[in-house]
Amino acid sequence: MADSRSDSVLPLLSLAAILSVLLLDYGSVQANRIVAGVGHSLWSALGSGLATLLLLSLLAILVLNSLPNLSLLTKLKLARLKPHRYSKLYSYTLLLFLLLQMPFGLAWFAAIQIPESQPFARAAPGAGFWLLLFFSFLMLLELQRSTAHRHWLGLGIGLSTLAAWWLCLQLGWLDSLALVREYRSQQGPFKQALQSHLLLVGGTLLLSALLGGLLTALILNFRSLQSSVFALLNFLQTIPSIALFSLLIAPLSALSMQFPWLQSLGIRGIGWAPALIALVAYSLLPMVRNCTVALQQVSAEVLQSAQAMGMNRVQLFFQVRLPLALPVMIEGLRITCIQAIGLTAVAALIGTGGFGNFIFQGLGQAAMDLILLGALPIIALAMVADYLFSAAAKYWQPGVSHD
Amino acid sequence: MRGLARLGPLWQPCLLLALLGLLVHNLANWESLFRLVQPDTRQVIYSRDSFSYLLWQHLALVGLAVVGSLMIGLSAAILVTRTRGRAFLPLVNQLASMGQTVPPVAVLALAVPVLGFGNPATVVALLIYGLFPIVRNGIAGLQGIDGAVLESARGMGMSAMQILWQVELPLAAKVILAGVRTSTTFAIATAAIGSTVGARTLGDPIISGLINGNNAYVIQGALLIGLLAISLDALFSAVDKWLPSTH
Repeated sequence: MADSRSDSVLPLLSLAAILSVLLLDYGSVQANRIVAGVGHSLWSALGSGLATLLLLSLLAILVLNSLPNLSLLTKLKLARLKPHRYSKLYSYTLLLFLLLQMPFGLAWFAAIQIPESQPFARAAPGAGFWLLLFFSFLMLLELQRSTAHRHWLGLGIGLSTLAAWWLCLQLGWLDSLALVREYRSQQGPFKQALQSHLLLVGGTLLLSALLGGLLTALILNFRSLQSSVFALLNFLQTIPSIALFSLLIAPLSALSMQFPWLQSLGIRGIGWAPALIALVAYSLLPMVRNCTVALQQVSAEVLQSAQAMGMNRVQLFFQVRLPLALPVMIEGLRITCIQAIGLTAVAALIGTGGFGNFIFQGLGQAAMDLILLGALPIIALAMVADYLFSAAAKYWQPGVSHD
Repeated sequence: MRGLARLGPLWQPCLLLALLGLLVHNLANWESLFRLVQPDTRQVIYSRDSFSYLLWQHLALVGLAVVGSLMIGLSAAILVTRTRGRAFLPLVNQLASMGQTVPPVAVLALAVPVLGFGNPATVVALLIYGLFPIVRNGIAGLQGIDGAVLESARGMGMSAMQILWQVELPLAAKVILAGVRTSTTFAIATAAIGSTVGARTLGDPIISGLINGNNAYVIQGALLIGLLAISLDALFSAVDKWLPSTH
């Protein structure tokens, strides 16, 4: 039985979306990379046909989901308004339309607003577009909350949206989009940035898993160490990343001056060496904390009954304790990975490459599209890592079979 | 030592803050020390702004942002835990936890196209990022209160407002404080990176040192930022010990 109050969220979100596409610029056109863009309203950006369609679907979501709230009408016996049997299905369809039209709409916007005489002009989505995306995403989350099979549904909608963007990109319809222009001119560096970003994050994960595992084993065997190890790791976590990166520069460059063979390994004051050390230092807290908590929380009764079944110590660890602790340990990996993705971006300041490079170059040149080219992939990477590790934790939840 | 003991849990942050003050005012006099790090450079003490100016500027940015996030975030947490706003609770909770997966440096970078360069963009980015831990902890703190306690407060004839101010907020204070502490740690670190978007902070010597290959500048900035973060964290830890335990 749906609580009537719980239905006020979707109408409010769709109202917010309507207001933001009506009141803010939906897109802008720049004559070249540096000049400020000229804003376009929803009508002039998409043309009256598509703009009306878009507004109507938002309005439809608003009305469909407000019906049960209009209790006054029901009381007055003017109408018998119940939530429509298929209102959720309709809302999903409308939302899917809103999400899928986005790349096509932008392509259409570029086609009608960029004159042939300006081959270097670029179109960019405006605040209205971004807010529409944001509110559509929120509506999707809210709809999903009360739906069965929501994970598959969410995955399906996400994949089909990605497919629509991919299709438009492949067909070359989005070529005059500012971000695409920027990407095309940075294709080589972009690939390199992705590679070095992933390499540094991967190295951090691997090293901190090894070191974290070692520290956890130490703590579990020598309980007295626990508080001092955590105090140290907490302390490290408090130091701002840029300060820790910087403080490692001088000692490492002194070391590499002293021992030239270190230089041949690429270990210098700047570059990947100080970054990796700092990243591992930051990663140890979530790693060790989650591993310790996970292994300690396996109840003594469970362990005793396993022992009574005749398991030896190795079996006990690998067949009972580890599987029970795995989800919380994976959660530690998730936190570590997301944190490392963000900190690697900061490490670009000390010359490690990665997507942070585009951000800081873009800030230096006041080139907003270059900033976006750095910031958006970082956010995307963090989201993907979050999704994958959360899914893994769920998969290895004890007591769930996967037949 | 007795004097220190009388300060109770406060002696640690007091000591650290005193050390920070000492460093801020005397770093510029230790030229010969920094000469060791950077022997071949003419200037080894960062002098575009005084360190105390940068420290106050850094503190002002962080303070403004954290107070802003506390006011907005706590209001949001209170609203969605009332009966009338409860419909928004799952969405706000989910949004806050998703927001925390976005790296702070990306939030800072995205603030620039919207707000331009300088202090305002930095404060807004810090404020937005600071909201997530405060909202999450605010909701967790307010929801973690035993229903029987609220029932008996109602039974005593307290109004909803009285219950909020005299029962719920004091009982949730420890958890809320932990959120503010996380926000502050992030804000101090991100404000330092704010130097790259044109804010004046203790990150300035670091960025300028990295660009010009002057390790002395880098160390000066990093020392002060690190010490600032550690002292404020110690201060939060002292306040946390001073708050009565609720469980």
